[in-house]
Amino acid sequence: MFHPGGVHGARHIAQSLHHVKNAIRGTCSSKLLMQQKAAAAVAVESKKGTVTPPPTGPAPTAPAAPNSVEVYIDDKMVMVEPGTTVLQAAALAGVEIPRFCYHDRLSIAGNCRMCLVEVEKSVKPVASCAMPVMKGMRVKTNSPMTRKAREGVMEFLLMNHPLDCPICDQGGECDLQDQSMMFGSDRSRFTDIKFDGKRAVEDKNIGPLIKTIMNRCIHCTRCIRFGSEVAGVDDLGTTGRGNEMQVGTYVEKLFASELSGNVIDLCPVGALTSKPYAFTYRPWELRKHESVDVMDGLGSAILVNSRGGEIIRILPRVHEGINEEWISDKTRFVYDGLKRQRLTQPMLKNSQGLLEPVDWEDALSGIAARINRVPGQEMAALVGGLCDVEALTALKDLMNRLGCETLCTEESFPMNAAGTDLRSNYLLNTKITGVEEADLVLLIGTNIRFEAPVLNARIRKAYLHNNLRIASIGERVDLRYETDFLGDSVHVLAQLADGDHKYSEILSKAKKPMIIVGSSSLQHGDGTAVLANAIVLADSLRSKMSSNGDESDWKVLNVLHRHANQVGALDLGYKAGPSAIKQMQPKVLFMMGADDGVVQRRDLAGDAFVIYQGHHGDKGAEMADAVLPGAAYTEKYATYVNTEGRAQRGNVAVTPPGMAREDWKILRALSEFVRGSSVLPYDSLDEVRKRLAEIAPHLTRYGQVEDANYFRQSKDLVWNAARPGHSGQTLPAQQRELEDFYMTNTISRASRTMAKCVTAARHQKSTRYGL
Amino acid sequence: MSLIQKTLNLFRAIKQNGGILSSLKTLYVTDDLKWGTHVGTDKYGNKYYENNYYFLSRNRWVIYNPDFHLDYDGSQIPPEWHMWMHYTTDKPPTVKPPVNYKWMVPHQENKSGSSEMYYPYSTTRTKIESWQPAHLRTADTEEQNPKLFNIPQNNRIGVQ
Amino acid sequence: MSRLASSSSSLVSRVAGSGLTREVKPLVSTSKREARQRVLNLYRSWYRQMPYIMMDYYVPVSVADCRKRLKEVFAANRHLTDIRAIDMLVIKGQMELRETIEVWKQKTHFMMYFRDTVKQKPSEGFLSKFLDGKS
Repeated sequence: MFHPGGVHGARHIAQSLHHVKNAIRGTCSSKLLMQQKAAAAVAVESKKGTVTPPPTGPAPTAPAAPNSVEVYIDDKMVMVEPGTTVLQAAALAGVEIPRFCYHDRLSIAGNCRMCLVEVEKSVKPVASCAMPVMKGMRVKTNSPMTRKAREGVMEFLLMNHPLDCPICDQGGECDLQDQSMMFGSDRSRFTDIKFDGKRAVEDKNIGPLIKTIMNRCIHCTRCIRFGSEVAGVDDLGTTGRGNEMQVGTYVEKLFASELSGNVIDLCPVGALTSKPYAFTYRPWELRKHESVDVMDGLGSAILVNSRGGEIIRILPRVHEGINEEWISDKTRFVYDGLKRQRLTQPMLKNSQGLLEPVDWEDALSGIAARINRVPGQEMAALVGGLCDVEALTALKDLMNRLGCETLCTEESFPMNAAGTDLRSNYLLNTKITGVEEADLVLLIGTNIRFEAPVLNARIRKAYLHNNLRIASIGERVDLRYETDFLGDSVHVLAQLADGDHKYSEILSKAKKPMIIVGSSSLQHGDGTAVLANAIVLADSLRSKMSSNGDESDWKVLNVLHRHANQVGALDLGYKAGPSAIKQMQPKVLFMMGADDGVVQRRDLAGDAFVIYQGHHGDKGAEMADAVLPGAAYTEKYATYVNTEGRAQRGNVAVTPPGMAREDWKILRALSEFVRGSSVLPYDSLDEVRKRLAEIAPHLTRYGQVEDANYFRQSKDLVWNAARPGHSGQTLPAQQRELEDFYMTNTISRASRTMAKCVTAARHQKSTRYGL
Repeated sequence: MSLIQKTLNLFRAIKQNGGILSSLKTLYVTDDLKWGTHVGTDKYGNKYYENNYYFLSRNRWVIYNPDFHLDYDGSQIPPEWHMWMHYTTDKPPTVKPPVNYKWMVPHQENKSGSSEMYYPYSTTRTKIESWQPAHLRTADTEEQNPKLFNIPQNNRIGVQ
Repeated sequence: MSRLASSSSSLVSRVAGSGLTREVKPLVSTSKREARQRVLNLYRSWYRQMPYIMMDYYVPVSVADCRKRLKEVFAANRHLTDIRAIDMLVIKGQMELRETIEVWKQKTHFMMYFRDTVKQKPSEGFLSKFLDGKS
């Protein structure tokens, strides 16, 4: 019988475990859960070479609470919270117990039996991942019985495991390899190979991203638990029992989740590996570069592996504040888009009006000649969402020195009241970790599942463990958890803001409500109304909170951006939205990474000169008169500010291809050619960063989030301004289905892997089982 | 073979080569005077002869186009005749015409020693595919896009 | 003895300036005239051998370039006065000529005659570094 994710479903299991822990502990809070997870995370064996720095968040050592129990691990005493398992207690003591099925972010399965340890006064060895500690327990992790148990389990696992190490992608970072060396027996007793042989299982096709070789599966069920708990997609499950057990989708179905690539990291053996990277590398020959992801607005922490000047793979880094241990599929597999459609040579339009490659000196002097003919008031700049802060600063400095003040981002933001002047208006103020403390989340006009998949996973985690209630306004989409669907237009929001809706009661009773406004809803006509009503609603909820005597430090309003550095651009003073450009009809337009096509040729003056600086040839380069090749996010030391306002640094993994250069350096070189004394005052990266610190100090305080305020003032400005009307149309979600998720920015549009994913998702939609 | 037969062969050879003067010229150019059946002529004007009375390796020969004079070279034989000349096949192109594949490059004689000689170049794909502006993009499929492979147009990278 | 004399005379000559003549043991030639003859003979040998050298080596220089370079190399040593030094250089020149003619050198060695003697200064300033690609 096919059990998707367990008999009762993931939420029930998680909740029942939760109740068990409650019963033992008395009170519980998610903070304690996080603390323990952080504690265990410190000692967890590093997987796939992921760098595990001390997690940001609560301190790693759990302080001795009044009701902690004492446990003796190998005669070493540790004081732990009641409810921790023996495995976690051993980790606190510094002893690492081998395991396959246990993962600190998934529910406990206890089916691999590798974590068996000897506990005094117990006849049988005990599965330490599932056994909660009791007072005075004495655990022996290296006794003969423990060792015998481990060797036995390892022997059983290896009996049916194929001899694939030379051809397996997981070789070198395989849990089974490492643990059999450390804890397994040194000789084999397997003679059945001459008779029945090893079990053979068919490979399953679960999509263009995950390669399955099910012969190697050891049935740890981590992928199944991940699918049902974290991703919310119950596609993977088990069929059959005992020796005949198979993990798969039973029907040939795509593993239709935007987080599906994470099972590759989770699988301890080479059963689930990455299809695009198959057979291309061994982990010991790769170089590690820590960086930041730009595919969505969250800025997930990633590790870029490269070999020979080419990116081989992208892995997640643990960052408790943003992405925990997960990254979305786009982040993981988009690297092959960095090798296609790249701009590698500066180009200028020749006398026939065709772009031809030139060298840097000619390009820069040609551009400067055109710029020098035009006064500052007739110039403008447009930036896309992937530009780093250093380049944005250089561009703004250069344009300002030339007398131009019209610098816009492609993404709009309603500017009627406070607009982008108050930082609290456009940040994710409660921070991503706030989701775990909230008890009600109101999503407005956002399909958060595809716009910020990792944040969606966190909301789902809170939904499972903390009883988080989620309400949504906007187009009806499937978020993989239950939401209270309130309506699909601004009308509902206006009613809520006035307190006229049926749901207002529930909202006002919430102790820590969160309102997340999606930036896609702020783009079109109703955006002004959306933001205004959201501000008013947030303020009313906040005032109710403070009147109830709750902590007034809790911020309710959040805006979720879809582009990586939109917040950075707004912090630097860029105008949101291209309307200013369309009004003024510039003669010179400098587009930096602007590939969404919001400004077309017809919006500019007839003889306008368009300069495009970026790394991919997309819509911007097609319409440009001069093309300057810049560097992508893995090729420069860049600063990105995520949607929370957290400034993060990305590192160089490979050099920019061909004749491309770093973006701020191009602008600095251009400044030497243009008129007047516009030479930018910085020559090196440190000087640029000094300039950044001058403009806004948070831009160089990496990794920290600074709180923004003035919510009351923002609301007053909205209140004083005329309350904007609305059309009552549906707030459309720009990414509705899985197939819309994969190709959203210029890098993902150039990627073949992403194209394959779109095809697979469309194909799956047309089959009997759907997505 | 008797002397008479040998003399007869000589006359046959002289006759086929077009008289005593032409035979002397042929002797000067090719160091050889043979008679045989004319199997065919190729597009360059080289004539191919066969005579199985001679032993193997002397039974098939080519008389190059007289325009070449003394500058004849083995690489001037086009590939379909090359197959026959080198005993890869017994059927000359007149009997079994060659198959024309899409990927075939027109025949070129070996230009070694000159400035147009073959210089090896990388045939691997470039790691980064550059974007081409619209007017430089070919209508071919990507596989034939020359920018994927940095094939040097003049075949002379690295040579002074 | 002569060594001592020469060392002391070189000291002397350094201090007092050139112009002092004295007797030393000769290397090959005994007079300036003979040394001059040797030098010119060497020059002529090289000059006349150039076309044949060009036939042996496949290098991107023409005979005229070679001859120009020959002149430069000889002119660089024009200032020498010590006959023994001149002799020594002539002997070396003859050795080089032999190596070049007999094709004991390869084209790499031959091209060493045409190396730039001026080292390229590392580019200064942001713009030149940027245009060079930061090399």
